[in-house]
Amino acid sequence: MTMKKRNEAPAEQTEGQLTRRRLLTWLSSVGIFGSALISLVANAFFIKPRATYGQPNRFSIGKPEEFPAGTRQALDGQRVCVIREGERVCAISTTCTHLGCIVAPSETGFACPCHGSRFDQDGNVTGGPAPKALAWYKVSLAPNGELEIDKGVEVKSGTYFNV
Amino acid sequence: MRLALATASFVILIVHGIIFYDQFFHEWESYQTSYYQQALSLAKTDAERAAVEGRSPKIEQIIVTSFGETRVDRCSTCHIGIDDPRFKDSGHPLRSHPFSEELGDKLVDGKWVRRHKFNDFGCTVCHDGQGRGLGGKYAHGQDHFWPDPLLGSKLIDWRADYKPKLVGKEYMQANCTLCHTEDGFGSTPLVAQGRRLFFGKNCYGCHKIDGLSNGALGPELSEVGKKFKIDYIWESIVDPRANSAASFMPKFNLTDDEVKALTIFLKSRRGMNFSETSLDRYKATLAKGEPGQALIHGGVLTSPPETGTPTAGVAYGERLVYDKSCMACHKLGKFDGGIAPDLSFEGLMRDEDWMMGHFRSPRSKISDSIMPAFGFTDNEYQAMTTYLASLKTPPLVTNPAEIYNSLCSRCHGEKGDGHGQIAVYLDPYPRDLTKVGFMNSKSLERFVTSIRNGVHGTSMPAWGKVLRDDQIHAVLDHIQTTFVKEPRRPIRERKLPEINPIASSSESVNRGEGLFLQRCTGCHGRKADGKGPNSLDMLPRPRNLRNRDFLNSVTDRRLFESLLYGVQGTAMPSWIDYGLTEKEIGDLVNYLRSFDKGHKQ
Repeated sequence: MTMKKRNEAPAEQTEGQLTRRRLLTWLSSVGIFGSALISLVANAFFIKPRATYGQPNRFSIGKPEEFPAGTRQALDGQRVCVIREGERVCAISTTCTHLGCIVAPSETGFACPCHGSRFDQDGNVTGGPAPKALAWYKVSLAPNGELEIDKGVEVKSGTYFNV
Repeated sequence: MRLALATASFVILIVHGIIFYDQFFHEWESYQTSYYQQALSLAKTDAERAAVEGRSPKIEQIIVTSFGETRVDRCSTCHIGIDDPRFKDSGHPLRSHPFSEELGDKLVDGKWVRRHKFNDFGCTVCHDGQGRGLGGKYAHGQDHFWPDPLLGSKLIDWRADYKPKLVGKEYMQANCTLCHTEDGFGSTPLVAQGRRLFFGKNCYGCHKIDGLSNGALGPELSEVGKKFKIDYIWESIVDPRANSAASFMPKFNLTDDEVKALTIFLKSRRGMNFSETSLDRYKATLAKGEPGQALIHGGVLTSPPETGTPTAGVAYGERLVYDKSCMACHKLGKFDGGIAPDLSFEGLMRDEDWMMGHFRSPRSKISDSIMPAFGFTDNEYQAMTTYLASLKTPPLVTNPAEIYNSLCSRCHGEKGDGHGQIAVYLDPYPRDLTKVGFMNSKSLERFVTSIRNGVHGTSMPAWGKVLRDDQIHAVLDHIQTTFVKEPRRPIRERKLPEINPIASSSESVNRGEGLFLQRCTGCHGRKADGKGPNSLDMLPRPRNLRNRDFLNSVTDRRLFESLLYGVQGTAMPSWIDYGLTEKEIGDLVNYLRSFDKGHKQ
């Protein structure tokens, strides 16, 4: 049977029509190159892990009442400083923008113990080697009534959340 | 060829497509999308809306380091509304976690406040399941090989007859106990009930649990909750042989509620406890002394008698014997546990001193008894002894075959071959009455004595008050005709010393020990406890020569006879054929007799 087909094929091909051989070649190519394409796309997506084993970026810190007006409380575990002024709450990163030390709240703002960077109350650089201001993170109110900080979302300096 | 290639390439394309689809479109994404949509429509204020806006489906996880090894709980990836009170009436998986006083939640100004916040505790510490899992089956631990399926859930491939009983949130009480270890913790009534049952049903007599009991007969249960799922625990309680064919654990008559409480109590035994460190525990043990001892002597094990019931005397003893599940092993009247000897005529067989001593320490009377020392109070022992001593009604059987079948066959077997119903639990093993060599080489007088007075240090009791002498002779005749099947032969007279002619001295004992180590240890063992390397190949087993009661009850003459001429029908050879002289036998006898003297010193 195959012998017969092989003999016939060249004759049909010369006519430039969609022969059986050409159709099969096309189908094979679509199959192979299609799956290669899917693999490439998938690999591009899967390079970034969906979840890592660090502490989650979004976490709740407790009810607003636990942070009375005037609070400046650094949460060392989460590397964030919660500041409440009146009814406004914000969260400023306590990771130094220079080499990643934990900055400590001081009277004038924040001070880095490693290389002496100084930041003001809003996290802007006032001295030392730090190249840029401390990040502000998104604060929101979770449905269970607790404040939630999302370190995955940086907001503009001076963006407060109204309790 | 090209057709095959085309087909193969399409198959590859389809497989790739399926994998891609499977990896990109998850069940949990649809749950999260649905949650965000509902939350947006439920949002009343801008703040609520802002909290939801901008969030897209992603894997949510809580990492908990406070309880044992680090837990990664991704449960809130699907159960994303877990802490959103607006979703308290939604269906699963979005439904919010209920509040309850039992969990320690408090109602403040009309709003519930959680005691156990999810950020601090995660989910699996209470619920079990596989925290890292992202699909229902794996996350809920319903994979066959995951050791901790969601407690109280119902989708597991468990035995159909137990499955409905293993469902219910009360099973989670087992995990509360990992931190709340105190005995009277109010929110875990079933753990407390199971603990009472563990002592009330005498489980502690055989099973060891660190800090609670010291039993050595059954498997240790200190970490049973970590090793087994609740279906296995349930099954092992109601049907001990289901998972271990060799188990001789009795079947206790427990209601389903009791089994459930015991299962929950045992599931809570995980060999760890988050409210104290191992150092704390060690210090507490040191302060308490031996763990089991303290409990036993502190009287924790025994509940006070109910008011209005007697605390002494026959009636109280009878109640105790029944309450303490003695008949889970023993036979008494119509109850028969099928493991331990018949107690129906105990008052005729043993005296009260023997019973009290045996209760306090069974092995002080029968060296190789498997009966645990339960550690009841002396008052209870006394009452039980009084009751057992009052059982003085002899059985109403007259003909020898009936006597044999009702009294002897439970140990010696219906065929007289020593393989009775409870024989495997007895040590020494009951005598095989079909061995002609043995039966025809010992005098009738010796058999009568063994029946009338019992054999000391073994489970053979004294039948002298149960059977009259003529009945004993009739039974022996019955044995001779039915099992031995040969007429009794006259005993060959042998010249044997009545009393060991070699005076006991330390030199003689040392010579005896040397001989013993050379000649006897293969069967009787280096410790002379009858457990030598060859002992398992022979029945009857070599005698435990450390059995003080037995050895004190036999005469020097009998020891000389057994050693010099062997014991026919057993593996004991005639040592005179192996060149031992009477003097050397005398040294050996002195060595055996020295065990007891050593004890007395």
